[in-house]
Amino acid sequence: MTSAQAIDKLERDGHGAYVESYDPDAQRMTLNMGPVHPATHGVLRLLLELDGETVMKCEPIIGYLHTGMEKECEDQNWRQAVTIVTRMDYLAQFSNELVYSRAVDRLLDIDVPPRGRYIRVLMSELNRLSSHLVWYGTQGLDMGAMSALFYGFREREVIQDFNEMVTGLRMNNGYIIPGGVWEDLPDGWEPAVESILALMSRRIEEYEELLTFNPVFLERTRGVGVISKEVALALGASGPIARASGIDLDLRRDAPYEVYDKLTFDVPTLTEGDVYARYQVRMIEMRESLKILRQVVDGMPGGDYKNMDPKLTPPPRSELNRSMEAVIHHFKLMTQGYTVPEGEVYEAVESPRGELGCYTVSSGGTAPHRVHVRDPSFANLQLLPPAAIGGLVADLIAVIASLDPIMGGVDR
Amino acid sequence: MRSGWTMAGNWRERARTLKDEGWWLVSYCGLDALGLRGGSRFEAVAQFRHATEGHRCIHVVAEGDPPTIPSIAAIWPTANWMEREAYDMFGIVFEGHPALTRILMPDDWEGWPLRKDYGVGKVTVEFVPQPFLQIDAPGQASETDGAGREVDRLGQSGAPERHWGTAPGAADTAHEGSK
Repeated sequence: MTSAQAIDKLERDGHGAYVESYDPDAQRMTLNMGPVHPATHGVLRLLLELDGETVMKCEPIIGYLHTGMEKECEDQNWRQAVTIVTRMDYLAQFSNELVYSRAVDRLLDIDVPPRGRYIRVLMSELNRLSSHLVWYGTQGLDMGAMSALFYGFREREVIQDFNEMVTGLRMNNGYIIPGGVWEDLPDGWEPAVESILALMSRRIEEYEELLTFNPVFLERTRGVGVISKEVALALGASGPIARASGIDLDLRRDAPYEVYDKLTFDVPTLTEGDVYARYQVRMIEMRESLKILRQVVDGMPGGDYKNMDPKLTPPPRSELNRSMEAVIHHFKLMTQGYTVPEGEVYEAVESPRGELGCYTVSSGGTAPHRVHVRDPSFANLQLLPPAAIGGLVADLIAVIASLDPIMGGVDR
Repeated sequence: MRSGWTMAGNWRERARTLKDEGWWLVSYCGLDALGLRGGSRFEAVAQFRHATEGHRCIHVVAEGDPPTIPSIAAIWPTANWMEREAYDMFGIVFEGHPALTRILMPDDWEGWPLRKDYGVGKVTVEFVPQPFLQIDAPGQASETDGAGREVDRLGQSGAPERHWGTAPGAADTAHEGSK
């Protein structure tokens, strides 16, 4: 087609380059939204069939961010694979590390010292806050409230700074490892968390003032993208999306891991199943996270922060100058890593987006035989067509933001 | 972990029973058991959860070539994408699936990436010889090869000398070889 013909075609059909096809008789247009689109939160492509502004069909097409991380894990030793899983759902990096480390802990059949467990919960709850802050910002932005994005990212930055203080990195930390955590909390961690807690309880009030009773926001989210309880159950929804549709399910309470059985917190459940209900559930969850963090800071025990078994943990640097055995252990752990007994295990934690599972198989060697991560975004994204079909394109934007899919986790 | 095994032939019936008992599917993935144990090679591993009875795991042994398992997407719609992923990664065919196509890899991809006999790094990367990036004005050619052509330090004839800058105080010795 020459450019003149192309212009002719555009003038005749009146549509742009993203349109796949147009059926003039039925007045149906099929077009691509994404994979590069500001409202699809990453590289999600939606094949839409539109009747005017109404979505008649919606087919998510994924895989644009697939980098073969599960295969990659099979090439690393057990310790190194932590650095791969942390890059999957990059906004919930500590949840990813936690679920993989818990799976390996169970295969190794080892104990994690209490302080290590508390630190794991501390980091993953702060992570839940920062992940929900990104969701808050993008949900607001997609609804036209740009200031929400700035507020959300401003507070997330404080938590990222704390991550950097503890782990040395802002994202992709690789901090939670089989046996505990890599390093103890640094001096001054307690005032830092206290200041985050004081700041956040004030700031959540501000977020609520900005959106919760905002007439434009209410108009665009109430009754929009309704997911019924039956649909949510059938399509395997979990996390805030399930809880906004009336499914009372939270792994922190129902299958407690680490120290969650010692902590008290509420699990918010609503029945409306619309975008606004998902908004409310996440806002309450942020307050609940603050409650959990309060208890974690107060209850933080002393002692070891990781399992000190010399066959699992490299000896301290000072030992290397004195002990030949320490040098040998260090060398073996650094070059080939530890072996894990043959077996299989499925571990699950409640990530900010829902049930994050890790199915791990060991063949008895120094590398995993198979690591499969059941990512909540992957399952939750299947809810997009039932929630979006019959609504307007503008509502579709609200629905995507409320599902909060992270494409790094979906595609892995 | 509570694990069970079932052959592909009995799978759909078993899945229906599980659903009637109140179990719901949370995860469903492929597994290549090559080198893991004797017997069957391809399996699909399903994880179930129950409101009161906790969690259980069921291995479904694939039969035939290509490995085949009946689809349970009609029983649990959430299995739809999970089966597509297992097909995409292991080439396990789920009979009766509404649209069994690749989901993560491109549609025209050949091979099944997560199989154990599919090594990493088998995709060849094409290197096109490029002249070296010239940052400064071309320096003096450093050496000549046997035929009298000028070559730089890496033996690439005709390419301008790479100049990365010199450390303070090292300026006198950095280009010693070229003088």
